[in-house]
Amino acid sequence: MASHLVKSLQQHGHVVDHSADGRDGLVLAAGETYDVMIVDRMLPRVDGLALVKTIRGAGIAIPVLFLTTLGGIDSRVEGLEAGGDDYLVKPFAFAELLARINALARRPPLSDEKPVLQLADLEIDLLKRRVMRAGKRIELQPQEFKLLEYLMRHAGRVVTRTMLLENVWDFHFDPQTTVVETHISRLRAKIDREFPTPLIHTVRGAGYALRDDS
Amino acid sequence: MSTGLLFGIVYWIASDFLLAQARIAVDSEMTTMRTASRSGTGDPLLSAIAERQSLAGAAQFYYGLQNPDGHLVGGNLPVVPQQAGWQEFEVPVGTGRLKPFEGRDEETGTLLARVHLLADGRRLTVAIDTFLITEAQEAIVRAFGWAAVAGLILALLGGVALSRNFLRRVDALNRTVRAIMSGRISERIEVGSTGDELDQLGQSLNEMLDRLQASLEGLKQVSDDIAHDLRTPLSRLKQGLEATLRVDADKDVYRQSIDEAICQADAALSTFGALLRIAQIESGSRRQRFVAVDLSDLLTGLAATYTPVSEDSGRALTAAVEPGILCQGDRELLVQLFVNLIENGLRHTPDGAAVAIGLARSDGDIVATISDTGSGIPIAERKHVFRRFYRLDASRNTPGNGLGLSLVAAVAELHGAEVQFDDNHPGLIARVRFPGQRRS
Repeated sequence: MASHLVKSLQQHGHVVDHSADGRDGLVLAAGETYDVMIVDRMLPRVDGLALVKTIRGAGIAIPVLFLTTLGGIDSRVEGLEAGGDDYLVKPFAFAELLARINALARRPPLSDEKPVLQLADLEIDLLKRRVMRAGKRIELQPQEFKLLEYLMRHAGRVVTRTMLLENVWDFHFDPQTTVVETHISRLRAKIDREFPTPLIHTVRGAGYALRDDS
Repeated sequence: MSTGLLFGIVYWIASDFLLAQARIAVDSEMTTMRTASRSGTGDPLLSAIAERQSLAGAAQFYYGLQNPDGHLVGGNLPVVPQQAGWQEFEVPVGTGRLKPFEGRDEETGTLLARVHLLADGRRLTVAIDTFLITEAQEAIVRAFGWAAVAGLILALLGGVALSRNFLRRVDALNRTVRAIMSGRISERIEVGSTGDELDQLGQSLNEMLDRLQASLEGLKQVSDDIAHDLRTPLSRLKQGLEATLRVDADKDVYRQSIDEAICQADAALSTFGALLRIAQIESGSRRQRFVAVDLSDLLTGLAATYTPVSEDSGRALTAAVEPGILCQGDRELLVQLFVNLIENGLRHTPDGAAVAIGLARSDGDIVATISDTGSGIPIAERKHVFRRFYRLDASRNTPGNGLGLSLVAAVAELHGAEVQFDDNHPGLIARVRFPGQRRS
């Protein structure tokens, strides 16, 4: 499982260090500056939760993605409380993991958050809750605004359906209807349809990406 | 211990009483003597002593009259007191000494004596043999000794009988447990009518066994369901992959086949996930994380989320939500509860149906309703819909794992809420009633 993961991540251009137990992981985390850590909850010697608590206690702010076992509905809250930034339930699609670590690795620090996000000719003002494209005001429903904001924050990167469900709708389960697809399609109709270059792209087998291809 | 204490108290009180009685007897004898001495001839005291000595009732008394120089001049006192007042003398038993009594086998006895200094300088002594007091004390000791021995024997016999009875019952209990362990799961422990601790234990064990058997049957039901409901998609997956492997296909066909296989595996995994999630919710540990959840806000949000979804599927969604209703709960799970009900309303109704979300206070309870105008659930099936993997015949062809309402039931139970399905004339109305919740 771990070696498979390491290989796949390397194929996607990441530099990966791997340790098979919690104590070695702790040593690695303390010694190097990583962009992101993937921590399994079940580790020999020092378990994942204790590991992250320890590094957070030592003031190490590397973003942490927890891997948890199937059905562990309490693990997410525990993981986030321990100082984790995201979680993923095993088994997962590799595309999901990749999208999430990309999102974590380049997450801007909260302090220098800008009130206005911009991509190409699309601009959203987080304070005034206003969206403009090519100088034209676009009216969005609150949930559409939230969806667009999330896409803008992760502009240029793939966000998966699950990431959207968790972060935009706070759904920590898989709905049986096309919630994400419907809202994406509504959003597209408003911000892309009347403009020459579409910004919302569907990434097959992975999710969506907001990017300027022109 | 308590017997010993009782013995001590009885012994002490009895000795004290007997000694006091002896002193009173001596005193009254002394008074009698002195009274008698005033009305006699010659030496009235000497004749009084002689007279008293000859009386049968005075057998236990000893008398003595001493000259001022200390010599005994009368009476039968076997010792020569040296001073006046109360004193005790240890005197050998025998002729001319202490009188033998029946059963007296000690070689010495104790005299309790009172020596009185008379006006003419002589000393008059009245003494009493304390043998009877000692005898009474010994009788008490003996009585207690026998009582102790008898008590011990009785206790031993009772103990043996009790423990044999106890062991016999424990043995019976043990046999039943072994029978259950060997697979006769419906065996129960025989409970007597005395209602003692052992009977109560048996009762508790039987109740525990009932519950274990129920959950075992539940578990068996689930594993049967899993076997039934997961075998189908897994064998379909396997057949699909085998079929693709048999034909010499190009890359695109393989890719499509693998995609389908992944989809089917995902469906099986999500069923597993849902089962585990329900089991975890049912364990109740989530209750520790309860916070105040704004149900009004939650349902308004869900209405906004599902309005476009329902429009796209040709259904109408409306919401009538009373603002500011809060309850203690787990937001994440409550979201899933209502999403499952709303999605059921959207998925199991024909095109053009209407789905309504409602939230209101009613008789102090909070009642959330999700209603639709579809075909509803037949009354006979309403009690089954919460069962895992149970699906109405009408919805067999709609995708789904048959766990949605099981999860709804589990989440409601966790929140102490009640879910009820009724006829919406036409359609179905689901009521989730949170009883007696705190108000905002």
